[in-house]
Amino acid sequence: MIFKNRYHIGILRISFLLKIFCACIILNASQSKAQFLQSKSGNITFFSEAPIENIEASSNSVIALINSENGEIAIKVFLRSFEFEKALMQEHFNENYVESDKYPSANFKGEIVDFKGLSKLQKKEFSIKGFLDLHGVKKERTVIAKLVELNNGNLQLQSNFKIACKDHDIKIPKILWKNIAEEIEVSLVIPLKPKEL
Amino acid sequence: MKKITFCIVLFQLSLFAQDMDEMMNQFSEGNDFEVEATYKSTWLVLSQTNETQNAKDLNFWIAHRFGDIGGEFGGSSTLYGLDVATDLYIGFDYGITDHLTVGIGRSKYNETYNGLIKYKLLRQSDKMPVSVTLFDQLAWITREEFSNNEFNQESDRISNFFQAVITRKFSPGLSLMLSPGLLMRPDAQLLSAEDQNNLFALSMGGRLKLFKRISLLVDYTLVEGLGREANEELYNPLGIGIEFETGGHVFSLNFQNSQYIIANNFIPNTSKSWTDGGVRFGFAISRNFSLGKKKNN
Repeated sequence: MIFKNRYHIGILRISFLLKIFCACIILNASQSKAQFLQSKSGNITFFSEAPIENIEASSNSVIALINSENGEIAIKVFLRSFEFEKALMQEHFNENYVESDKYPSANFKGEIVDFKGLSKLQKKEFSIKGFLDLHGVKKERTVIAKLVELNNGNLQLQSNFKIACKDHDIKIPKILWKNIAEEIEVSLVIPLKPKEL
Repeated sequence: MKKITFCIVLFQLSLFAQDMDEMMNQFSEGNDFEVEATYKSTWLVLSQTNETQNAKDLNFWIAHRFGDIGGEFGGSSTLYGLDVATDLYIGFDYGITDHLTVGIGRSKYNETYNGLIKYKLLRQSDKMPVSVTLFDQLAWITREEFSNNEFNQESDRISNFFQAVITRKFSPGLSLMLSPGLLMRPDAQLLSAEDQNNLFALSMGGRLKLFKRISLLVDYTLVEGLGREANEELYNPLGIGIEFETGGHVFSLNFQNSQYIIANNFIPNTSKSWTDGGVRFGFAISRNFSLGKKKNN
């Protein structure tokens, strides 16, 4: 290609810049729509089954982030956001067991095992491997989860697993073993939306 | 031109590199939870704390004050006061909402019935440095008159105590409070002709957790006009106690110079001193009953 004068070269330069810029904007837009899935209103419910009483608590403000490019996943819940049937249970949970003054949130950080894109995950169970940080103790965990497509087209992450109190140094007084289970059943339902930047 | 291209690409890269941790932190901003469990019960030793009952919770409270450990009335002949009961209190508190509690009670001293109302006005949080609870207690003396016309009319038997409990939980283990209050008594309840109807009182105290479920409690009440003329010498009430919490029950074992349990009685009438054996042993037991579910999720 032969440039006839500086004027033409100038035009080409500008159009080249524009192309890069547009490409970046398109890339950006596709990223911001697709790269991350997020939630601020996930639900975590846990259940303790013991001879004297069953205890159930639930939080509806679970925060979650999934990187749809590489399968990284992060989940966080403020322990104070758990609501119990009885207010006194809630106070004891926060003050005596999880000590939410010292350790305000429970955090999970990990990644989906053998991740090959979100579309490959649907309608079957998969593993998530990572670290659960609760009550100041980090524990490596692998949990089974699944992604369900809702009617509105959004995805929902679901999982059930158990947490042993002693794994996280949560001590139950001997006289209360009939009131509180040593293993707590946890169920997690997180509706996900594409993250908007 | 290369520079501009470079800048645009760099800008892009910075977006790529946005860290998951950073994004999670952005998400979790704006969570401001109210501080809970500043104290384990609604009473310290003598004074009220800022705590109220949770909605639909009924709390049953029994308190006991024994006799003087030492001095003229104590010693081995009363087994250091254990033979004597200077005051007994039985009361029920009920939480209408999480922030409003009403209660009734009865004291042995003067056969006093009391009604109380407690309202959590301010709750400590990241934005609010202190908790403030308003407390009002009406006490009604129901015993027979000691002398004719001691109580000319029914209103002579009534006193009212109002207090603003200001407290802060400094750490999970330490809570301190400062509570100005005003006691109003009719003439018939005064100790002498020179006694005042209105007494200001400033309570101060706190809780220090020794172990997870065992705390040290201290409260001291400065009463206005201690030097006022009365038949006996008057003192500022000081209580020191150990509190045990066992999930639903709270036990408190304590020592104090005040013979009486409710503020309407101990603020004007504390006539025993820590220094001359007038200190006594006391205890309190509370039991919490949940009468309803907290929330329907």
